[in-house]
Amino acid sequence: MIKIFGLEYFKIRRKKIWIMITLFLAAEMMWAFLSTSMSIARNSDHAVWESIIFSIASMNGLFMPIISAIVVSRICDMEHKGATWKMLVATNVSRGRLYAAKYLCANSLLLYGILAQTGLMIAFGLIKDFPGAPPVEWLIRFIGGTMLATLAVTALQQWISLAVKNQAFALCLGMLGGFIGMTAGLFPTSVRHLLIWSYYFDLSPVTFQYAETASSYMTQPTSSMLVAAALGMIVLFYIAGNIQVNRQEI
Amino acid sequence: MKQSISAEWLKLRHSRMGLVLAALPIISLLIGCSNYYFNQATLQNGWYSLWTQVSLFYGEFFLPLLIAICCSYICRLEHLNRNWNIVLTAPVSIASVFLAKLFVVGMLILFAQALFMGLYRVAGTLFSIPGPFPLETVGWAINGWFASLSIGALQLGLSLRIRSFATPIGISLCAVFVGLGMYILKMGLFFPFSLLTIGMGVLSQDKLTNTQSMLFWMMNVVFIFMFSSMSIRRLKYKGVSASL
Repeated sequence: MIKIFGLEYFKIRRKKIWIMITLFLAAEMMWAFLSTSMSIARNSDHAVWESIIFSIASMNGLFMPIISAIVVSRICDMEHKGATWKMLVATNVSRGRLYAAKYLCANSLLLYGILAQTGLMIAFGLIKDFPGAPPVEWLIRFIGGTMLATLAVTALQQWISLAVKNQAFALCLGMLGGFIGMTAGLFPTSVRHLLIWSYYFDLSPVTFQYAETASSYMTQPTSSMLVAAALGMIVLFYIAGNIQVNRQEI
Repeated sequence: MKQSISAEWLKLRHSRMGLVLAALPIISLLIGCSNYYFNQATLQNGWYSLWTQVSLFYGEFFLPLLIAICCSYICRLEHLNRNWNIVLTAPVSIASVFLAKLFVVGMLILFAQALFMGLYRVAGTLFSIPGPFPLETVGWAINGWFASLSIGALQLGLSLRIRSFATPIGISLCAVFVGLGMYILKMGLFFPFSLLTIGMGVLSQDKLTNTQSMLFWMMNVVFIFMFSSMSIRRLKYKGVSASL
């Protein structure tokens, strides 16, 4: 399995996907840092770790589904473009393992992106001199929550990217996911919990309480129900995609 | 030119791009409408309030990405199986190959805009919004479509150069944020993505003055001409990487 995983990396060695992820996330981080700096300039109470964690978590709702769609599409589309599926399945490796290797490859790249985000958040907090040490527990929960949502989103994206040759559909789904992720706060809770893209926001350790008199950041406890739902969606999308791609005629 | 355009339409057959083009305006509108429905107490400006809700995410974020998807798709077939060699040796001018692609992208986006406007009108009627349908919004949709051509020319250039389907779409996502920044810095006229925000009245519904309107159209013409001529020149003198 490790060999197949390594081969996936070998195939994308000249695609510079990690550079692409870095650049996309740099755009997101720049925007988030600018908006947080402006918010701090208006209200010094916002110069806390919660502000940057909340800002990145809510922007991830827009960015991560689209970045995930792009990364997965690039990893899967090379097989469609080069017509290499036939060659791959003719080797002594099961389709299930190929599917798993691609899934692991995409998610390891996205994990790098999430870790880079966390590092930049810490750097921003230290530069802005936020009170206290970096909140390790919140940052771990942020990484865990974002990764959990990403695992489910990539499972869905990989299913579409491999099942449908036309990558416009996969990218369109990513875009719709970004749209739902960005507007997640507008949906009623019961509807929101059915949509995986809203989990970037729901699994964040910090939320913002809007009130008429004074709005403030609040700690959001991790809901075991939401974690279970995200895990369920990961398993569901992965297995459904795996079964369809395994049975698909090439 | 006619032949090139009909060839482009032929290549779009069975692509089901219509589904992609329809999905986004419909979902943008549904979410915008539900937001309008739940906040009617604060949104008191009738048709204009509905416009702010439905056009915000569509015009600001998703129309540029839809344009990028269309441009990537329209170059996808050429990037497969060394098809660029066939296209560039066909008995048509290089300019007509590029312009036909731009024309088809323009038509696809026009369809998306028309659908969006049709749905906006239906939604307003269903909400029983008082007052006549504001023709100004049709002007915004047309302005938005014209600004889409500038973005289309830029994205087509990127899609011709970059063989990956998804990378130009990612670049478009970053450009959206640059455009938003340029708009806030009041330099929107100098970036195609900000021109879309200005043209569609996404963030401000103030009527453009005659000078602003003229500048808007002029800058779009400049961008379309500049990006198209750069891409055509590149196609003519450097060609395209046509490996598998």
